[in-house]
Amino acid sequence: MSASRMEERVSQRTISFTLNGQPMRLEINPHETLLHVLRERAAAAEVKSGCERGDCGACAVLVDGRGVNSCLTLAVQVDGKAVTTVRGLGTPDAPHPLQAAFLEQGAAQCGFCIPGMLVTLQAFLSERPAPTRAEIREAIAGNLCRCTGYHKILDAAETAARQMRAVQA
Amino acid sequence: MKDLTASEFAMVGTRAPRRDARDKIHGITRYADDFSLGGMLYAKVVRSTRASARLVRVDTSKAAALPGVRCIMTAADVPHNVLFTDVPGQTTVVGALRARTQVLAADRVRYFGEPIALIAADTEEIAEQARGLVEIEYEDLPGVFDPVEAMHPEAPQLEETGNVISRWRVRQGDVDAGFAAADVIVEHTYQTPFIDHAFIEPEIGVGWLDEDGVITIRVATQVIEHFRDVANVLGLPHSKVRLIAPFIGGGFGGKEDVTVEVYIGLLVWKTGRPVRLLYTREESIITPTKRHPFRMRYKHGVRKDGTITAIEAEFISDAGAYAYLSPLVLLYAMVHSSGPYRCANVKVDGTAVLTNNTPTSAFRGFGSAQPAFGYESQMDACARAISMDPLAFRERNYVCKGESLPCGQPVDHAVLLTETARRAWEALGPSCAAPPGKRLGRGIASTLTSFGRIVWLHDWSAAWVELQMDGTIMVRIGVPDLGGGQASSLVQITAEIFRIPMSSITIHIGDSSLTPLAGTTTATRQLYMSGSAVHKAGMELRAGLLEQASSVLGVPAAALTMDGGAVVQVDGAKRISFQELAASCSRSGRERYRHSVFHAPAGKVMDFETGQGRVFPDLTFGSQAVEVEVDEATGAVRVTKLATCYDVGRVINRNSVEGQMEGGAAMGLGYALTEEDILEQGVPRTPNLMTYLIPTALDVPDITTIVLESGEGSGPWGARGIGEPAMVPTAPAIANAVYDAVGVRLTQLPLTPERVWRAMRDAAP
Amino acid sequence: MLPHVDYVRAEGVAHALALLDRHGAGARLLAGGTDLLVDLRERRSAPALLVDISELDELAAIRAEDGALHIGAGVTVAALREDATVQAEFPALAEAARWFADYLTRNKATLGGNLANASPGADFLVPLLALDAAVTIAAAAGDRTVPLDQFLLGPRQTALGRGELLREVVLPRSAPAGQAYEKLGLKHGGAIAVVSCAVVMDVRAGRGARVRIVLGAAAPRPFRARAAEERLEGQPLSAERAEQAAALAAGAAQPISDVRGSAEYRRAMVQALVRRGIDAAQAAAVRS
Repeated sequence: MSASRMEERVSQRTISFTLNGQPMRLEINPHETLLHVLRERAAAAEVKSGCERGDCGACAVLVDGRGVNSCLTLAVQVDGKAVTTVRGLGTPDAPHPLQAAFLEQGAAQCGFCIPGMLVTLQAFLSERPAPTRAEIREAIAGNLCRCTGYHKILDAAETAARQMRAVQA
Repeated sequence: MKDLTASEFAMVGTRAPRRDARDKIHGITRYADDFSLGGMLYAKVVRSTRASARLVRVDTSKAAALPGVRCIMTAADVPHNVLFTDVPGQTTVVGALRARTQVLAADRVRYFGEPIALIAADTEEIAEQARGLVEIEYEDLPGVFDPVEAMHPEAPQLEETGNVISRWRVRQGDVDAGFAAADVIVEHTYQTPFIDHAFIEPEIGVGWLDEDGVITIRVATQVIEHFRDVANVLGLPHSKVRLIAPFIGGGFGGKEDVTVEVYIGLLVWKTGRPVRLLYTREESIITPTKRHPFRMRYKHGVRKDGTITAIEAEFISDAGAYAYLSPLVLLYAMVHSSGPYRCANVKVDGTAVLTNNTPTSAFRGFGSAQPAFGYESQMDACARAISMDPLAFRERNYVCKGESLPCGQPVDHAVLLTETARRAWEALGPSCAAPPGKRLGRGIASTLTSFGRIVWLHDWSAAWVELQMDGTIMVRIGVPDLGGGQASSLVQITAEIFRIPMSSITIHIGDSSLTPLAGTTTATRQLYMSGSAVHKAGMELRAGLLEQASSVLGVPAAALTMDGGAVVQVDGAKRISFQELAASCSRSGRERYRHSVFHAPAGKVMDFETGQGRVFPDLTFGSQAVEVEVDEATGAVRVTKLATCYDVGRVINRNSVEGQMEGGAAMGLGYALTEEDILEQGVPRTPNLMTYLIPTALDVPDITTIVLESGEGSGPWGARGIGEPAMVPTAPAIANAVYDAVGVRLTQLPLTPERVWRAMRDAAP
Repeated sequence: MLPHVDYVRAEGVAHALALLDRHGAGARLLAGGTDLLVDLRERRSAPALLVDISELDELAAIRAEDGALHIGAGVTVAALREDATVQAEFPALAEAARWFADYLTRNKATLGGNLANASPGADFLVPLLALDAAVTIAAAAGDRTVPLDQFLLGPRQTALGRGELLREVVLPRSAPAGQAYEKLGLKHGGAIAVVSCAVVMDVRAGRGARVRIVLGAAAPRPFRARAAEERLEGQPLSAERAEQAAALAAGAAQPISDVRGSAEYRRAMVQALVRRGIDAAQAAAVRS
């Protein structure tokens, strides 16, 4: 069956969701992954594509606050939900504590894994505000980094967790 | 011109946040794939599904007929269907090599995944669909997949000139006499695997036709100088191709050879449209290049007093189906073959051989990582054979400043190996009891790795440093930043020279047309070469600005310095801001910029028959110590402690130095324990990150990072390169620790649970 | 890039069943998607329609009822991992959840998806077989409950018929206190099992009781090593007997050679892991 015939049969549809708090309304095909739609249609190039099969975590985003690989989420599935990328965590003028700690402690090198790493940590720390270092390791075991050896990432995550707890208290 | 001294440093050596980090942490950085243009076409590469075959028929007609397909190219459509890698002289047995690769397979494919055709279409989906419609008829040819078999005259030949593409040798003294003088001889054969760079950003580029017919390609590359290769393939003047390297999502040598840029160039040239080509992870893993598997026979003679009397080694390197940089990787291996040790009698022979495996080339540690597994395993085995402490045995044999390596490579600068080894070892702390069913062991390795290019290649880097009219500074330099902080370190050097905050400096990097060419981000050369170029340009500009200020302020230049964005009188009140100074320069016709070229010290070509002579400008030395826990029942190895200690000469950015050392150790850990591109009859069996296993946060322990600064090194203010050296000692240190734990010497990487289990079982009484 | 496929978000189990019934073999259930979407991308599966059941609350509950724990097929591995009852009463299952893939995957992957995929090394089939789990299959005609062992027909084959879906896993709450789950992977984070095993047992007067030994990635499908179980069932426990049982388990394995390990190694590892599992389960049983 040719692509055009398939497209006729498979209905395009409109999805509405928020991206970092901004309402979005997009026409999509149901087979399109959230990763693809965020990057190609929603100008969310901060979501990185590293493997497209859930092995690397570079494409991680938050869907209603939960960390997921956007390559293994269909865009149609986030209809009505809130999607958060690293750009939704903070801005250069008002960085999230994780971002501030990553900057200060030199946790980013090539930076390609960092958007996924940061949202994953944000999701994890919201579930578990006072984790052990070993628990942080478990949380980011699906976020591959080839540059850092994870050491400074773990340091920064611990620093940020402490700061986030202090703000909460 | 008086240089700044370490005691004056305000910026150098600090943990100043990297200039590129803020954008990366906020998702602002535009990597190569984060860039698109109107009317952009999406490209796909049609690849061979055979490892060795003749192409009988390539029929693109069905694919071309698919609506939305804009261009299909095969070998016949490529103006000059060849990419060269020039390899300087070798032994007379082989002769100089013009290593060549076909851009698209013309009539024969030599490895699985070799490109046969290019497709550009309106969407990625259409391009992908068209790829499935290209009909290829193969006639299978016998293949050869083992380099030792490939050396046999009867083996299937990949090239008319034969499968052996490179031979190097090192000769010093008399090894027979050396072995005769030995009390103990230790001999083992070691094997290392194909491994993948596994950067998280796959190969990617976007190209377009710019004004005046300039094909411009924004590409994830370590080498913007490949603009010449693209132009040569297209038959265009070199000035008609421009490569731009944005921030790269990791390179490690895997973006050193040409990747997507030549295909993008072809499709842009053919269609006149913007073209994007992104490799899938699978393509990234199955396509060139990989790290060379080495088979290394090492034979050491030692006396009971700890003297190494002779070293004999034989390396066979699997070059895969095309030469790429294999001869050079092998040459590097020769220089590094004895390790950082002195020995009067050395004989090393190396051979690189073509096979129908995935081509191999540059990988962090370029020819220094494979021998390190051999010689550091040997050092451990030798120490045990003469019942000497492994550290004491090494200390007795470390090469010293002022001496030469056995291949004649001089050692010009401080060698702090004793301190690196002791500090790393001590950092492991007191031993604990092993948990039930587990055994603990500790190991160490000391290694050397060159930095900078081969001295007879006359390496240089150029930098432009300019005082803007508003008093800020701009740097332009053609450096690709792979993530190591290459650009930021240059900013930090500039900030030191002009005593202004890093935020007052803007750097433009990685443009083959608009930034002065700085050479490749390879060979751990950018801090050394481009750091020196920026240092030179900066210091020259500083001197000129001080002179200008001197004439304006009426104060001798020697009594002036820079501080807070102004030239100020030392112990005085007079000052002139950079902004006023810039205006003054303009009024008086004094240049506010410097374009300076740093030339590495050049040397004459080594003696190819003996391997004797200087090959590299400088060397970095360091040690790593590890503790491992080995599961007695399964053979699984866990690294529980890891300490890394290097003399980096001079720290420019402390976080960046530590980051290289930590990341290098993690990569070395993967090399030691999990990473292997498995090929079966040339067919990749580990084409994704579920089967090709790089270390996760659960696999890498906390790392103790100890940085020494001898102040001696060829880089700016005595800095040495650390990028590649950082990963080299880890694998042998882990193998030595496994020996310490279970008393079995593993000679094949990676040390998978199964290999360790087999070794333990076979050794059991 | 995924192939074209249509999509419907199911409003309830009944709706999902109706869709399955209407679209027949061309329809696939989409739960966590962590396996299915990879299969689609790699063209191992080419459904025309995805029926999304990931939003169905009725599949996502864990409830205790009639002496059994009912775990909805749509319960994510993350939720399973955090569940207090699972942790307290089914530690073998909790352990499998703990080391399942990685955090991001656990947030999506579901228990039901893992069972319905029925891969040879499926992490949850192994402990659940050892815990005498049953599954409830929903169909238009009504639900039916079958023992997990009968649900699992072979590699990637289950008793799920056309127009049926996996509703829940039913775990008898009288499970033996001695439980262990052992998994050998090639790395510590997110590893696929080279081999795995679950051992479940009581210890009564020093003798094994209600012994279950299940092996994963050791044959085309996870299975009970019955000869090994019998060596311990009703028998006085000893190190020697544990070793014999482990050897019997290894003998029952029919492992393959692949990139993760040779058949010979897998067989040896079955023995090592079962031995370790017996020791751990026995210790846990004695402690309780």
